[in-house]
Amino acid sequence: MSDALPIDLVDVDVDDALAEAHHGLTRAGFIVAGGAAIAGLGALAPTTGAAVPASDREVLNYALVLEYLQAAFYTESERSKALKGKTAEAAKVVGAVERAHVKAFRELLGKKAVGRPHFDFQGVTEKEGSFLKTAVAFEDLAVAAYKGQARRIRSKSVLTSALGIHTVEARHAAWMRYLNGDQPAVSAFDLPQSRKEIDKIVASTKFISRRPRSTSRSKPRYTG
Amino acid sequence: MKRGGLIALGLAAGGTGAAALIAAAESQEPSAAPAAAPARPALAGPAAPALAIPSPRELADGPELTRWAHVRRPVLARAQPSRSARVVARVARLTPERSVTALPVTARRGATSDSLWMRVTLPTLPNGTSGWVPRRALGAFEISRHRLVVDLDRQRLTLLHRGRAVLRAPVGVGQRRWPTPRGTFIIRNRLERYESPQYGPVAFGTSARSPTLTDWPAGGFIGIHGTDQPELLPGRVSHGCVRLRNPDILRLARLMPVGTPVEFR
Repeated sequence: MSDALPIDLVDVDVDDALAEAHHGLTRAGFIVAGGAAIAGLGALAPTTGAAVPASDREVLNYALVLEYLQAAFYTESERSKALKGKTAEAAKVVGAVERAHVKAFRELLGKKAVGRPHFDFQGVTEKEGSFLKTAVAFEDLAVAAYKGQARRIRSKSVLTSALGIHTVEARHAAWMRYLNGDQPAVSAFDLPQSRKEIDKIVASTKFISRRPRSTSRSKPRYTG
Repeated sequence: MKRGGLIALGLAAGGTGAAALIAAAESQEPSAAPAAAPARPALAGPAAPALAIPSPRELADGPELTRWAHVRRPVLARAQPSRSARVVARVARLTPERSVTALPVTARRGATSDSLWMRVTLPTLPNGTSGWVPRRALGAFEISRHRLVVDLDRQRLTLLHRGRAVLRAPVGVGQRRWPTPRGTFIIRNRLERYESPQYGPVAFGTSARSPTLTDWPAGGFIGIHGTDQPELLPGRVSHGCVRLRNPDILRLARLMPVGTPVEFR
């Protein structure tokens, strides 16, 4: 990942999802997210209706974009039916987990959640070799990204959740590394990566793309 | 003694020692502690997580799910997944309405990036023609869980979502001399805010083409749109397009995304 080309985020983040998350901007008014999001937690549940601090929402939205990216990647891989055997099984399992992460983030953030960007994986989901390379990169990226945001999180509840997801992403990273023939546990200490570094890497993939135009104000020339 | 036995023994001994330490600590009366020693705060328990992560769920893709993709660049569609195969059609990136062409994807062939081909249904005559294009000529795969069915004999339209009807409406269809073609196509664009009352407030473009009006401007594509003559519906009244009353086309526009497969039957 370190050799990824540093391409300007603005060039590819045309849906503004990354930028939106980066600046903590929102698309709609805030609705306190506590009630629905924490339903079912029982004794561990924080106070219903407790608002997440604004700075934590920014971190959560940033994480949500990465979760969107991963969920879309694995989901497209599974739907392509191009993967076989253990790789297909891993994509299926990990994809379901990433979708669960997305759902949880969206429920917590409510209308403050950033929208799903448009993704174009350019065929890497349809070949085992490129799928595994990309999966390893995504999972390592997620692990480094969560670690990189730890110091910015103010709420202990949010930090607990982030740590819970961080370790799951680390397991995914080890799984994908194993399938790709890489050492699952490479070093004794994993370094965090900053938001800026992560954004550059994501942007350099060009997987976040402009949504093709499908509407127009042209006068119809159909047969009538 | 083998290594495993040593480890087991060590663990047992450690366990005994720990139990003894705990017992010793618990047996001490508070009064036995020095009066000046500060009380140690208990370690805090885990914080409640802010996120409620649901159980992971498998994809719930049913038979109603279809795949499609936008065209990334102009491309030749071929009869077989090979660069030497016969050319079936030229596929433009843009439609006559300047939207990006959307194609239903029905099959895949090949295993490497250079040899991956997709079979697509083409917006060309005869209707229903399919061809193979390189994967790289297509953009991201999109999915649709909607399906639009137009019963040409009963002149009824039904929009389905995940197999369930969410909208029904009477329609006008092609006159017998300009019939609406039968088959399965795709909604490939949506036009709005144009000045043309005879098409109503919204018009959808399909990949179907009139088999009779082949010299119609822009290729004789079949649309689904509103009308300024609602009193004619339902009936065989059009040049092949599917006409809806304006309130119905507005309801359809709220529910149906581009990429929806449409069946004229």
